[in-house]
Amino acid sequence: MKHTIQQVFRSGKFVFGFAIFAAVLLIVIFYPLIITDGPLSIIGQGTFFPPGIYVNVYDSMSSTVYTLNLDDAAAKRIASKLNEDDRLALKEWLMAAGVSEAEIDTTDTQKLLDLWVNNYDSKKSIPGMTNAKRNYYVRLNTALKGLMATEGVTVSQFNLQTQTLEEVDAVEQSDFVNITEVANMRVLPLGTDNFGRDVLTELVAATAVSLKIGFVAGIIATLIGLTLGLLGGYVGGIVDDIIMFITNLFIVIPSFVLLILISFSIGQEQRGAVTIAVVIGFTSWVWTARAVRSQVISLRNRDHVNLSKLSGHSLVHIILSDILPYIASYVIMALILQISSGILAEASLSILGLGPRTTEVPTLGLMMNWAMIYQAQILGKWWAYLPVLVTIALITFSMNLMNTGLDQVFNPALRD
Amino acid sequence: MSKKWYVLASLLIVLSMLLGACGTPPAATEAPKPTEAPVEPVVTEAPAEPVATEAPAEEPVDANSLPRNETLYFNGQQWGPVVGWNPYSSSNNNGLAIAQQDNARVTMFETPYLYNMLDGKVYPLLADGDYAWNDAQTEITFKLKAVAHWSDGTPVTADDVAYTWASHVKYNTSTGSGNKDYIETIEAVDAQTVVVKAKLDADGKAVNPLIVAAYLSSNYVIQKAWTETLEARSADATAFTADPAEDVVWSGPYYKFFTDDTKVVMIRDEKYWGQDASMWGKLPAPKYLAHVIFKDNAAGTTALQAGEVDVSQQFNSNVNDLWMKDNLPISTYLPEAPYQIGASLPTAFFNLKSYGLDQVAVRKAIAMAVDYPTIIANAMTNQSATFDQAPRSLMNPTAGEQALYDATAVADLQWAGNDIEGAKALLDEAGIVDTDNDGWREYNGQKLSYIATCPNGWSDWQAAIEVVAAAGKEIGIDITTNYPEWSVYQTVVTKSDAPLPEGYDIFMMWSDGAGPTQPWSRIRKMMSSEFVGMASNWNGNWGQYSNPAADELIKAIPTESDPAKLKEMYTELVKIYLTDVPSFTLMYRPQSFHTVNESVWTNFPHGEDGTNPPVPPLDLTDGWSIAGLYNLVLVNP
Repeated sequence: MKHTIQQVFRSGKFVFGFAIFAAVLLIVIFYPLIITDGPLSIIGQGTFFPPGIYVNVYDSMSSTVYTLNLDDAAAKRIASKLNEDDRLALKEWLMAAGVSEAEIDTTDTQKLLDLWVNNYDSKKSIPGMTNAKRNYYVRLNTALKGLMATEGVTVSQFNLQTQTLEEVDAVEQSDFVNITEVANMRVLPLGTDNFGRDVLTELVAATAVSLKIGFVAGIIATLIGLTLGLLGGYVGGIVDDIIMFITNLFIVIPSFVLLILISFSIGQEQRGAVTIAVVIGFTSWVWTARAVRSQVISLRNRDHVNLSKLSGHSLVHIILSDILPYIASYVIMALILQISSGILAEASLSILGLGPRTTEVPTLGLMMNWAMIYQAQILGKWWAYLPVLVTIALITFSMNLMNTGLDQVFNPALRD
Repeated sequence: MSKKWYVLASLLIVLSMLLGACGTPPAATEAPKPTEAPVEPVVTEAPAEPVATEAPAEEPVDANSLPRNETLYFNGQQWGPVVGWNPYSSSNNNGLAIAQQDNARVTMFETPYLYNMLDGKVYPLLADGDYAWNDAQTEITFKLKAVAHWSDGTPVTADDVAYTWASHVKYNTSTGSGNKDYIETIEAVDAQTVVVKAKLDADGKAVNPLIVAAYLSSNYVIQKAWTETLEARSADATAFTADPAEDVVWSGPYYKFFTDDTKVVMIRDEKYWGQDASMWGKLPAPKYLAHVIFKDNAAGTTALQAGEVDVSQQFNSNVNDLWMKDNLPISTYLPEAPYQIGASLPTAFFNLKSYGLDQVAVRKAIAMAVDYPTIIANAMTNQSATFDQAPRSLMNPTAGEQALYDATAVADLQWAGNDIEGAKALLDEAGIVDTDNDGWREYNGQKLSYIATCPNGWSDWQAAIEVVAAAGKEIGIDITTNYPEWSVYQTVVTKSDAPLPEGYDIFMMWSDGAGPTQPWSRIRKMMSSEFVGMASNWNGNWGQYSNPAADELIKAIPTESDPAKLKEMYTELVKIYLTDVPSFTLMYRPQSFHTVNESVWTNFPHGEDGTNPPVPPLDLTDGWSIAGLYNLVLVNP
């Protein structure tokens, strides 16, 4: 046993796959211990906040202020509100309003702004200008207000007794706060989803659920396949015929279609994560059964099996001690593949809206489903679906890699 | 021995094959139904871009040559192929041509008057001048324009109007059955003059003058001669309404040009009577109205982004990203949130027969705990007015309706939401507390546990229901969600002659939007007990609420004409509604979503377009919004 494990861990592919899988597993186990928020708690008011560090504005006003005199601060500030396209758009409007082209210098911000402030009128109708364009100019005009100002901003508080605004603070343009000193900040490495939930927290919880579904489905499928394969292969005859008949029946029906039909007919009320796992397990055992059977048939007439038969050992004993050990490595490999395909099946089902009904826990497929419903892929909100895809890919990739590694170790035809 | 076995085995195999063959049919019959659902979303994964980009290539030859500069493209109105063009039928599935409703669709068929949801007035279309009630308020008289004519050249007469109504009643169409309790007859006095006589109650007063007047702006005038042709070839009422009416005669500016299961195209009628100076004075700008049939919202949005759709009547999530991030020439009616004019009130109804939901405290606590700002920001992506802007009542957020009730009188009843502590206190006060320390509250020893539901795939509703469920958990009431398919959902919810089954404790449905009978009709459908006991109830009050005081007010309002009195009555109704909480509004929703891409056409209606009367954002097809079609100009003529 020890030797076998040593051998397995000498396979580069297996080790690599195992490392990825272990990393995913560790994250799934330890992340919830560090970030204790509920995976489904809605924290963002609004959809698809981009990934980043969110710093509380209110708290940062009361944090210690540091003055940093940076040369390019003003230029950066202006560039964030007035880019090259905006400058050209300003020029376009001014020319349409009758300002001569020679007067307009898009590189001189101050001059351009003066010209703009003196000429712009949101009510003025410019022939051929669309409403979308006019809205754009209104927005731009608002953004440009105070752009060239050098003085700071006053923060005031409303005094209920005197019904007046009282100055409480002033923020200078050169004021900075140290992010570590702000009372409230939140890192959202993968932003938020359409519900305003933290995608990373949700993803970790979803991965755990998906792994659980994968394991349950994989174990069920492997157990059924193994039992039928062993019986059919070893007993043979009419038992084999019946088993193979059933197996063939299942083979001709595409298992995913079967899966869809069953999940649909179960109805949403009963569709918990475990139910879905069981359904997946019961529809995907077929090829395991066939493969195990053929392995068993080749073992059936070996000498040690015949010896065991002559010694009067029972059927169960022969199967468990003389046949099973010889195909154990193969079964483990099949199990790994079953687990990974179980995870994929759950994701595919959930994308169709036929996955588990879960209001307590998310699953990878459900996350994809919601991202799609809210058109994340069209709006370019990659953080809502790409990490989910990558996670699914990583899990199945690592399992397939482990499988290939095992194959190299156990399959004599592939052994170096 | 072995031979025997062999024979037996082969027999068995043959038998099993036979059995297998016999077993196939049930599997085959079962297959199509459930596959329907899965098959759809499978394709969604690839953002459906192919649909949009491929569509033009797939166009058949005759509709393929549509010149872009003469065609106005829509989305969001037509799902699935057109069934027919029969204005007597309510199942034409004909989104571009036929919709007899508060804001009637007047592209092909026309109503005497056009309703304008922005100013609440009606404007004559086929009619000539305003209509007039007689002094006793029992009949309406109006005249038809002499220039108005049918597509076959014959004039539109008072006879047509009268015969249309008579046919609706005779064949018991949805228009007929919906109005015959309120309209006695419609008669032609002379070729141009029509009299609509209201049904009278015991006191000799009109049963409901509101509905009588609304008939004039919500139902088409259909040609008498063509109706007679249709009658001649129809064996019975079913055949009459089921006729696809390919030969129908119309009076409107557009008619059928092309339909198949990928698109619908209507072409301008160059002989349209409305180009007369007494009506529009010209023909509408686009020669073709076209609607590609998209698979889903995502496909529609992609086409809108690509400039293949000009007017979008569908929910585009995060619509502001289209111009803020993508810099596309796309705009909505209002430049800032809520982007649209809210008109209807998607509402969560309580099943008042569910255990514990018969308690006002439980209902109100749930409604108070719900985080409405999150629903509006997340589920509606800010395309709804907030409850700060328009505090909850039974009115939609338009200024006209908001002025109809006294907001200060009910201010202490209008909860803002997200009030977890207040909701908990309310429940504690009512003695509904967690007695067995399992984290959930009990009422008389039974745990409060509910299922909140809405149809599957209705994304903004589903997201809103998720927020409702989250609120329940905050106050110790176990709410889980469930999304049945629409086909199941609608049959369950609209059956009001028995208590709702398990799984429908809190469920979402719509309310009326803007129209000539509003807000009365909306309030009636939210609260009136007249719908309880209906086997097929498509009106409202699906939670089966019953309050005689409310019923009385709802009955009295249509015959009341004193504005001060009306305001008092509406305020009282709002007070009852907010006290009893039979249902609670989750968001405001526009009558139609109105998002336009100005790549080809411009001068669409928008908040500051300066039109007088204002053109409402209803897709340029419904009610007075059709006026917008005459204002369109090309960006690059």
